[in-house]
Amino acid sequence: MNEPLVRMENLHHTYAGPRPVEALRGISLAVQEGEYVAIVGANGSGKSTLARHLNALLLPTRGEVWIAGLNTRQAANWREIRRTVQMVFQQPDAQLVATVVEEDVAFGPENFAVPEAELPQRVRQALETVGLWAQRQRPPHLLSAGQKQRVAIAGALAVHPRLLVLDEATAMLDPAGRAAVLDIVRQLQAQGTTIIAITHEMDEAAQADRVVVLDAGRLALDGPPRQVFAHAAELRALSLDVPPITDLARRLGLPVCLSADELVGALNNGFSAPPPAPLPDQGRASEATLPPANTAEAIIQVEALSHVYLRGSPLAAPALEGVDFAVRRGEIAGLIGPTGSGKSTLLQHLNGLLPPQAGRVVVDGQDLANPATDRRAIRRTVGLVFQQPEDQLFERYVGDDVAFGPRQSKWPPEEIRARVRWAMEAVGLDFVAFKDRLTMTLSGGERRRAALAGVLALRPQVLVADEPTAGLDPRARAEVLRIFQRLHEAGVTLVVASHHMDDIAALCNRVVALDAGRVFAAGTTREIFAQPELLQRHGLAAPPLADVASRLRAAGWPVPPGAWSADEIVQALQCRRLGPYLTTKAPRHQT
Amino acid sequence: MEDFELLRHVTIGQYLPTGSRLHRLDPRTKIVGLGLLLLAIIVHQAASGLLVGLLLVLGLVVLARVPLDFALGGLKPALPILLLLAALQLLFGWGLFSTSCHPLWSWWVLSITPCSVQAVIVLLARFTALILLTSLLTLTTTISELAHGAEALLRPLQRLGVPADELAMVFTIALRFVPTLAQQLEKLLKAQAARGADIKGGANPVQRTRQLLPVLVPLFLTTLRRGEELTLAMEARGYTGGPGRTHYFRLRFGTNDVLALAIIVVLAVGLFIVPFGAVDQHWLSLLVSIASH
Repeated sequence: MNEPLVRMENLHHTYAGPRPVEALRGISLAVQEGEYVAIVGANGSGKSTLARHLNALLLPTRGEVWIAGLNTRQAANWREIRRTVQMVFQQPDAQLVATVVEEDVAFGPENFAVPEAELPQRVRQALETVGLWAQRQRPPHLLSAGQKQRVAIAGALAVHPRLLVLDEATAMLDPAGRAAVLDIVRQLQAQGTTIIAITHEMDEAAQADRVVVLDAGRLALDGPPRQVFAHAAELRALSLDVPPITDLARRLGLPVCLSADELVGALNNGFSAPPPAPLPDQGRASEATLPPANTAEAIIQVEALSHVYLRGSPLAAPALEGVDFAVRRGEIAGLIGPTGSGKSTLLQHLNGLLPPQAGRVVVDGQDLANPATDRRAIRRTVGLVFQQPEDQLFERYVGDDVAFGPRQSKWPPEEIRARVRWAMEAVGLDFVAFKDRLTMTLSGGERRRAALAGVLALRPQVLVADEPTAGLDPRARAEVLRIFQRLHEAGVTLVVASHHMDDIAALCNRVVALDAGRVFAAGTTREIFAQPELLQRHGLAAPPLADVASRLRAAGWPVPPGAWSADEIVQALQCRRLGPYLTTKAPRHQT
Repeated sequence: MEDFELLRHVTIGQYLPTGSRLHRLDPRTKIVGLGLLLLAIIVHQAASGLLVGLLLVLGLVVLARVPLDFALGGLKPALPILLLLAALQLLFGWGLFSTSCHPLWSWWVLSITPCSVQAVIVLLARFTALILLTSLLTLTTTISELAHGAEALLRPLQRLGVPADELAMVFTIALRFVPTLAQQLEKLLKAQAARGADIKGGANPVQRTRQLLPVLVPLFLTTLRRGEELTLAMEARGYTGGPGRTHYFRLRFGTNDVLALAIIVVLAVGLFIVPFGAVDQHWLSLLVSIASH
């Protein structure tokens, strides 16, 4: 029998320290050459630790790891192991070394002393694979996050590794960037490169040949995605989930489905009679239950807003051109758009961080262009939470950090304390338990919630959040969404910008879509998600179930146009007398 | 209020790709040439010689097709101190006790002598030439060319224990992360402003510094974490430091480089061979005779 490319035997890893952390507790795993393995698990389950054993960045506390037959314990093997296994990390910025793209790609091969005559060809090949040959002379800091991540992949490919490890490499990317990376991965796999991808995204994991589920440092499940995703209940217990399509299939009583094609096919096969004709009015009917579009008063009104960065210099870069955007009191407004579309620039106008260069921004009746307008008061009215706000905690203790904003306003101490308590409780952090915790010791999800509390403590009427769920595991993500839902019920107006169409779908009634600084679509969530082609053209994607819904509709199933939630699809199919048929059919899960 | 945007201008060693002859030279030529000219200008004492030197440097700026005001931009921050120094030197009678320096004008403790006039010209010409030369290097050479050039020049010293490879790597990484840090700082300042901190641009430097204090801690923390991640990534990419690496970047030393170095050597030596000291004496005595009439 061939030696597998990766062989782990009873691997244990303990991080030393005053309170030792057992990250891995006995992992035995073999990966054969050419496999595509996805590793999933909640935060703290040991995924990244496991990955770092693959190229001897960490050494086992107990147990052994062999890479292509080489034991990672022997320092003499490390060079060969790292040449065999290349890794791409989550943060695109922290892994690029050189000041020019092509030189960065050459960094790995240079380290492994690839002959100088061969270097140009390797660099060119790697950059062409990721589609960035034209950008080879640019400095990395001027690239988008998605492009940087592709440079990082090119840097790994130029070494000609047998195994490519992706450590949450798509977590920070927009749908187009994510799709580009996944395309590259599939292409590499077809060429025989072994892939191990760590991810929080279950639909990404569904594309692998094999899914390995970690739980608290142990292997919980291991098998083909079809088999692993049949264990929906177990996965939920591990604060994971199944892909949305698999979940829908399960609720419809179908066998495990991993793609829209499969689900539509399964439904069509299971139903022998010709499907009933679609009802074109179905969508309209549920639309009518939404509040009429313009009854509520606008709390933020943006008209014909334009913004140019570095205006008047040779480096001037237009970011917004004639954008109209309105937020009504009490609603949750969604903002979508690919990286660099101007979302963040627009959000920074909503609380006056950026003054309007051209056009008008009116917040709560106050025109921001008016010099008499108190900008600090506007910033208290409109709270803005930036991307990765956990990097912006200023104080050592959680309570002090949440109190940062109120203290700037010089309220009496009791008032500050009350606000801090309210804000922490609003995000689900117990005031007494958390106020004296060091901000450094919080988990990723807790840090993000603390950062949210820091903005909420100002009691803003509007909360604006930029990518509030990026990089969180499914449980932490669901928690953030619940917090937003509660705030909404408490009367706070919300504006959410996200790459996660599922989040937008779950929260927002109205969506505005930006690309290249212009609004290309605006309307109800249903209207926007009913146009998957339009979204795709602009580097976005409808939520996975919206795609399924439109295909079902095209295949003649009575699904309302623009449906995107599992509830709605299940309901639509059941109310067409399919219910009895579907539920009597036993699920054929392979367990 | 584009206060936050100012940070985007942070660029150490601005590169201006005009594609001139100077741009196309081997970075080693430019580093060595710059070194020679710097040395000549620092050592040279005569005012007339330095004025000639300044003219030569201005000629190089034209040759590099860099707009003159852009090149002189580097002088602006130093201007107040420079003018203050010049005024002090001019008014507090330089060389008053030497026989050849009779005051041209004096009042109370202040006096202007021919020698102080000479000293002021030396100061201004030398300083301007130095600033222009150094910015000319970064304006015509990319960071990566500079790093590779410096590394190649230091390589012979590796036997003496100079870690040329590592030094070049440190230099490149430092410059690679300057814009990243600037972006991070901008983000932190905005986050603070969004949470009610009063951040105003253009205030006095003390206020401006005080506004920066609270963001320094998170900035350090994220920088440290970035540093750790970078170390890990470099290790994963096979970097172990020291020799044994190959090089993608090829330096090309051509006939133009030989020519350029030859011209620079001639000019630098020329500054010393031409008796500029005598020229100075000549116009100084002329100055004295004009003043005495």
